[in-house]
Amino acid sequence: MEAVNTNDIHIKGLSAGTGIAIGEAVLIISDSKAVDPSFIKKKEVKKHKAQFSEAKETLLSELKLMSKELKDSGSAEIIDTQLQIIEDPDVQKNVFDIIENKLLSVDFALYQTFSLFIERLKESGSELFRQRIVDLEEIRDRYIALVSDQENIKSVKKGSIIIAREISPTELVSFYEDGAVGLVMEKGGVTSHAAIISKSLGLPCIVSANNATREVEKGDQVILDSAAGILISHPAKTTLKSYQERIEARAKGAVEKHDGVFATTDGCEFKLLANIEFEAELPKVVENDAKGVGLLRTESLLFGHRLRKSEEEQVAFYGKILSGTTGPVTIRLFDIGGDKSGIKVSKEANPFLGWRGIRLLLDEKELLRNQLRAIYKVSGEYQGRIKILVPMISVLDEVHKIKKEMEKIRQELISDGVEIDEKIPLGLMVEVPSVALSAYQFGREVDFFSIGTNDLTQYTMAVDRGNERICDLFQHYHPSVLKLIKLTVEGADKAGIEVSVCGELAGNKIGAACLLGFGIREFSMLPYSIPVIQELLNSRPLKDFQELAKKALELSTAKELEEYFKMWESGN
Amino acid sequence: MIKKKITIENSSGLHARPSAALVKLAGKFESDFYIYSYGYRVNGKSILGVMTLAAEQGAELELEVEGPDEEKAMEAICELVSSKFGMEDE
Repeated sequence: MEAVNTNDIHIKGLSAGTGIAIGEAVLIISDSKAVDPSFIKKKEVKKHKAQFSEAKETLLSELKLMSKELKDSGSAEIIDTQLQIIEDPDVQKNVFDIIENKLLSVDFALYQTFSLFIERLKESGSELFRQRIVDLEEIRDRYIALVSDQENIKSVKKGSIIIAREISPTELVSFYEDGAVGLVMEKGGVTSHAAIISKSLGLPCIVSANNATREVEKGDQVILDSAAGILISHPAKTTLKSYQERIEARAKGAVEKHDGVFATTDGCEFKLLANIEFEAELPKVVENDAKGVGLLRTESLLFGHRLRKSEEEQVAFYGKILSGTTGPVTIRLFDIGGDKSGIKVSKEANPFLGWRGIRLLLDEKELLRNQLRAIYKVSGEYQGRIKILVPMISVLDEVHKIKKEMEKIRQELISDGVEIDEKIPLGLMVEVPSVALSAYQFGREVDFFSIGTNDLTQYTMAVDRGNERICDLFQHYHPSVLKLIKLTVEGADKAGIEVSVCGELAGNKIGAACLLGFGIREFSMLPYSIPVIQELLNSRPLKDFQELAKKALELSTAKELEEYFKMWESGN
Repeated sequence: MIKKKITIENSSGLHARPSAALVKLAGKFESDFYIYSYGYRVNGKSILGVMTLAAEQGAELELEVEGPDEEKAMEAICELVSSKFGMEDE
């Protein structure tokens, strides 16, 4: 560690990336647990009222987009009620009344207004609206978060370091586009979605940094040392200087040119592709010499404030990704539900075992058909480059249904005279153990497999990777997970189809080495991991990896494998 | 201004769906719409207002409509209430 100056304030978190950033803190709080009354001046009344109206518009447009997509009557009804609550004239009247006549700030006015209605509903003693109270609390919290962060969000500029409770990947990308150079989150583990995206964007990031939003003030100069997992505020001059020197040294030493070889020392070739979600990541794909996009996530099309929802807008998005890359682009159909749904449509006791992925898509036909239509429309111009990947398959029936949907869209477009790629390969995400265990039976029905090791680990180890308390149980190279992967490869071989791996395991040295040994030849990972994995896989003959993989299956814990790998890597 | 007394006949009262339907309908008219019940007055165009009435089956409500399209509005609202909000009684 560098010379630590005692005047610096250090905040510890978990490292979720590499690199150092020095910049100005912007706080994103997004919380409303305790709103204190604060008085405003008469001339500020107008501004506070406008903040309310702006937040109202944002909420309304979010919900309206949601209700367009979700056509089942149950969720549409919930959204309709929420719309009515947001449009309720009495809410606005009451909020404006508090701002104008009591000269209190908009966040407190919202808090008081909703609290008043919640109290009244409780007082009425009726069971009829118990569920609505929860809705009201949710809307209140979202409202307050919106009004209190508006100004902060607008102040993100070049050189900002975002200090947040928690933000969504979409928010992160929009901050990145505004010039943010680092991210600190109080919540979330190193595998949280925003952390993964920040890694992909090459942004220094730390997570689980307790109290960061309280210790740091807006506009403070801060140093974010991602590898060390620390945030330093009020740095002493000496500290600042030493970090500036490190950044300069890094800039000089970086960028080793890749030699373009992707093969073991005895000539077994492999392909490294990129996992991406946003257009903003494209430069990293090219920079790191990825041979295509092995996983294009599409959920961000549905949520957040940069919404691209209509078919035309989807076409434009896919087109940009295809024209900005070479090689195959595997588009994963919307994998919403579980941790990724932007708005909770209905509460489920076990969202990860619930209505998500293909299960949701087959119920929400319009959402599915729009996406398929958009993909096929783009395919005409990019013959042979697109593949379609279906998330969360657990039974064969779902495969039959999705094939039928694809056929239908194909026929429709052909008869409309639209030029399409009629042979877009269809692949399944292998993330539920039922698919891995019967890989041959599933494999016969499709063109390829892509193993999603994050969810496969989650469903095999029964661990929610987003839960900070148990995230150390999320061991993606646990021998049990590796056995399922081996079964998948065997089943795919028998069925004569290709299999790739697109989870984080592929971008992990231990994982990638074992995967190559199991017979995997296509890996998709964060662009940033490609050079490291390339170097490792280029460094030895195939039989070394095969021996490592064989040994890995005999071991009993992930820890044993880590130790064995250390020996393997340094020895021989 | 028109006033009219009505009774809620749905067996589970003016719960979420009927309330939503009532507010949605009232919002289509220009006239103001208020509901009086046990000495309370709520805005019939406010979903939160209507919910706080918590009107059970058999509750008597007085409707008050005032504005340029008050007659049409009152007629439509009464029809909705007497049709049990277009829902099969659950």
